[in-house]
Amino acid sequence: MIDLIHVSKRFGAAAAVNDISLSIAEGELCVLVGTSGCGKSTTLRMINRLIEHSEGEIHIDGQQIRRFREEALRRRMGYAIQSTGLFPHWTVARNIGLVPRLLKWPAAQVQARVEELMELLGLSMEQFAGKYPHQLSGGQAQRVGVARALAADPDILLMDEPFGALDPITRESLQDELRELQARLHKTIVFVTHDMDEALRLADHLVVMHQGRIVQQGRPLELLREPADDFVESLLGGEDRGLKEAALLPVSQRMRPLSPRLLARERIGQHASLREALSLMLWRHAERLTVVDDADMPVGELSLRRLVGERSDD
Amino acid sequence: MRSQTPGTNVVLLSLSLLALVVWLGLDTVSLAANRIVPGTGYRIDEILGWGGALATCLPWLALVGIAWRPTRPRLVLALALVVLMLSALPAWLALSAETLVDIPGARLGIGAGIWVVLFLLLLALIELRTRLVLGRLLGWGLLLPPVASAGFCLARWLEPLALWQEYRSRSDQFLGAVGEHLLLVGVAVGTSLALGVGLALAMRRWPGVQKVGFGVLNFLQTIPSIALFGLLLAPLAWLSANVDWLSALGVSGIGWAPALLALVGYSLLPMVRNTFVALEAVDPGVVDAARGMGMSRGQVFRQVRLPLALPVILEGVRITTVQAIGLTAVAALIGAGGLGTFIFQGLGQAAMDLVLLGALPILVLALLVDALLGALTDILRPGGAE
Amino acid sequence: MTDPRRWLVPMVWLALLLAATLGMGQLEGLFRWLESDSRQVIYARADFLTLLGRHLLVVSVAAALAILIGVGAAIAATRPWGRDFLPLVSQLASIGQTFPPVAVLALAVPVLGFGTLPIIVALLLYGLLPIVRNTLAGLAGIEAGVMEAARGMGMSRGQILRQVELPLAAPVILAGIRTSVTINIATAAIGATVGASNLGDPIISGIVNGNTAYVVQGALLIGLLAISVDSLFSRLPMSGAR
Repeated sequence: MIDLIHVSKRFGAAAAVNDISLSIAEGELCVLVGTSGCGKSTTLRMINRLIEHSEGEIHIDGQQIRRFREEALRRRMGYAIQSTGLFPHWTVARNIGLVPRLLKWPAAQVQARVEELMELLGLSMEQFAGKYPHQLSGGQAQRVGVARALAADPDILLMDEPFGALDPITRESLQDELRELQARLHKTIVFVTHDMDEALRLADHLVVMHQGRIVQQGRPLELLREPADDFVESLLGGEDRGLKEAALLPVSQRMRPLSPRLLARERIGQHASLREALSLMLWRHAERLTVVDDADMPVGELSLRRLVGERSDD
Repeated sequence: MRSQTPGTNVVLLSLSLLALVVWLGLDTVSLAANRIVPGTGYRIDEILGWGGALATCLPWLALVGIAWRPTRPRLVLALALVVLMLSALPAWLALSAETLVDIPGARLGIGAGIWVVLFLLLLALIELRTRLVLGRLLGWGLLLPPVASAGFCLARWLEPLALWQEYRSRSDQFLGAVGEHLLLVGVAVGTSLALGVGLALAMRRWPGVQKVGFGVLNFLQTIPSIALFGLLLAPLAWLSANVDWLSALGVSGIGWAPALLALVGYSLLPMVRNTFVALEAVDPGVVDAARGMGMSRGQVFRQVRLPLALPVILEGVRITTVQAIGLTAVAALIGAGGLGTFIFQGLGQAAMDLVLLGALPILVLALLVDALLGALTDILRPGGAE
Repeated sequence: MTDPRRWLVPMVWLALLLAATLGMGQLEGLFRWLESDSRQVIYARADFLTLLGRHLLVVSVAAALAILIGVGAAIAATRPWGRDFLPLVSQLASIGQTFPPVAVLALAVPVLGFGTLPIIVALLLYGLLPIVRNTLAGLAGIEAGVMEAARGMGMSRGQILRQVELPLAAPVILAGIRTSVTINIATAAIGATVGASNLGDPIISGIVNGNTAYVVQGALLIGLLAISVDSLFSRLPMSGAR
C-alpha cells in the first residue's frame, strides 16, 4: 500500500532521513517511534509531500507519489497533527467538512458526512457543531481533528503525535478509540509518536528510528523480545520490558481450561492483558484467577506460575 | 523546494538594476540662477557625456554581477561598494558644481535622481546588512564614511548647493530651532513620562481610573494634532487675557503653551499604555515566586516587577519621543518655533530648499532617537542585547 | 453581530459632523463672541461641505491605493517566490514608522510640486507603512499548526490565502488600516499648507490672519471627522471570532 524505497531527505549537507526502506500493508497501523529529531516526522511528511524526498522512491498503491498533483495526493490522505491545526475562524462542523468541500462534494452530502463523523467520534451534533475550536477541550479538539482527517473517507491516515499534548487519561481513551476505529474502518494508518507505551499499544507494525535511520522494525512483540541493539532496548524501557510485554499479551493466551478445582474468587476478563492479571494478583494477594468471557461466564483459569511461565509459541 | 546553494540575490539585483535606470534616466542635479526662478535639470549624460555616464555605471554593473552569484566574500565586497557609492554621492555633487556653476550666486539643487539613488543605496545597505547578519552598531558605523564625505565636500566645494546656502544664511536661527525643537520634545516627553507612570500606577490600583483614563486618552489620540492645537487656541487665549499671572508667564493662545499642552496630551497614551501593559505583563509565576519567598509588596514591585517591565516602558518612551518630534514640527504652525518653522516658511515662500532644511533634520532626529533608545532598550533587557 | 445598536455611536458622530458642516453659519453668534475683533467670523472662502468632500476624497483615494499596494506587497513578500524581499520589506516598514508624517509631506513637495497630487502621494507612501507592517504581522501570527494542517489537507496556495490566511489576519490588517487612515486624516489637513484645499484651510487661514474663529471651525470639523471614522473602524470585527 505505502512503500518507501531507499528514501533520503537532505537539508543542505545534513541528512534528516537516511536511506530508509519501509513497506506498510493495507489496513495496517504502522507506528514510527524514536527520540525527537530522529526523522520520524520528516518521514511522515514526505508521504504527503509536505516535504519532498531527496532520494529514493515513495509509492502509494504502486504509483509514485510524484505522479500526483500535491493537492490531489493530500486530499486522498487524512492528516492529523498534535496542535490539531483546526481553523480558529471556522466552526467545528465547517472544519470537519473541509476536505469534502475541497473535493466539491454537494452541500447536502458534506452535511451528511459531517454528521456521520461527529457521531462516529462521539461528538454530539447539537452540542458541538456550532462551536469554535477555542471553545473545545484538548481531547474534544483532537477528536474534531481526527474527524476532519477522516472526512473524505481516505484510505490512508497520517497522524503526527496527535495525542501528544493530552493528559494521560484522555490520551488512553483516545488510543482505545483509535484502535476500535481502525478495527472497524480498516484504514492504513501511519502514526508518529515518541511515547513507546503509546507505540506498543497501537502498533501492528512498529518502526524504531534513530538519527535518520530505521534501526529496527517488526511486530511489537518481536521488538520486545529481540531488540536489535542497546538503543532499541533502552527505548523499550530496559527493566520494564517484562511488564510492557505482558501488557501486549491477552490473558486468553496463557489461561488453562477450567480444572475441577474450586473456582478462584478473583475474576478477570479474557481480553484483559497479562499485565492487568499480574497487577490484580499482586493487589489481591491471589495466585490464581478465574478467567471469564464477555458474559461473565468462567472459561478458564490463570495461575501465577502460568503467567510467568514459559512463553507460549505464537 | 529551492536548492540549498546560494542562488541569485533577487533583491540586490532588482535594486541595482532599478538604480541604474534611475541614475541614467532622472535629473541628478538642477541649476537655478537665483532663489526665485525654477532650476533647469541636468541628466548625468548632459554633464559627463555618454562616455563618462556609462563609466559611472561600472559599480552598478559590479553589484548586478555580485547579486547574480552571491557568496559571502562577494557580499562583503558589495557592502563595501555600496558604502563607497554612498560616499561618492556628495563628491558627485561637488563635481557637478565645479562643471556647471559659472555665475556667482547660482544655486545647485539636488535632483530627483540623486534622492532616489540615495534611497535605493540605503535599501541595498539594509539588505546586505541583513544578509551578512551584521550588528546594529556596525550597521550605523557603515554610515560614517558617507557622512564624513558629505561634510568634507560641503566644506570644500559645495558652496553653490542651495540647501547649504539656505543653512548658511540662517545658521544661528537653525541651531536655535534645533534647540527649541529638542526642548519642546524633551519637556513634553519628560512631563508625560512622570504623569504617565503615575497614571499607570493609579490605573493598576483602581480599575475605574483605568477605564476612564484609557477612554479619554484614546479619544484624544484620534483628534488630529492640527485640530487639537487649534482647539486649544481659544481657551488659552481667553485664559491669558483674563489671568494675569498666566500671561506674565508667557502663556497665550499662540506659542509654546498650547503646543506643550497638546504634545503632553498626545504623549500620554503611548506612555501610559506601555507602562501599564509592561507592569501587567510580568509573568505571574515570577511574582508569585517572589511573594512566596517572603518579599514584601514594595520589594516585589521595586526588585521584580519594575526591572522586568523597564524595557517595555522604555519602548513607550521611544515611541512617544519619535511621535513628539513629528508633532512638534506641526506645532510651528501655531508659532511654537522649532524646525517646523523652516518647513512652513519654505512652503509659504515656495522655497523648497528651506523646506528641506526643516524636514531633513527632523527625519534625522527621529531616526537617531529611535536608534539610540532602541539600543538602550536592548541593553536593559535582562540577558543583554539579543 | 447584526445588532443595529452597535452602529449607533458612529452614526451619532457622523450626524454631528454633518450638522456642524452644514450648520456652521447658525453658530455665528458664538463665534462673534469668541472673535469679537474681526469683521468676518465664519470662514467663507469655500463652503464647509466642499472642504469636507475634498478632504474625504484625498484621504480615501490615498487609503484605497495604500491598502491595495500595502496588502499586496505584504502578501507578495510572504509567498515562496517573493520571500527574498521579506527582510527588506519588514525592516523598511518598521524604519518608515519613525518618519514623521509632516516630514514625509514636506519632502514630497520638492519632488512633486504643490497641489493635490503630492498630498495623495505623500499620504499613500506614509499610509503604506502601518498597513504593510500589520499585514506582515497578521500573516506571521497565524499558528504554524493551522498552516500545516491547511497544506496537509490538500488546500492549494490560493485557497489557503483566501480561506485561511486573510480571514485570520484580517483583524490585524484592519487595525493597520485604521491607524493609517487616522494618521492620514490629520496629515491631509497639514496639506492645506502645500496648496491642497481641504478642512485644513480654515485653520491655516485663521492662524495666518489671527482669526481664532476660523481655526476653531476647521479644528472642530477635522476632529469630528477623525472621531467619526475612528469610531466606524472600532465597530468592525477587529478582534475576530477568536
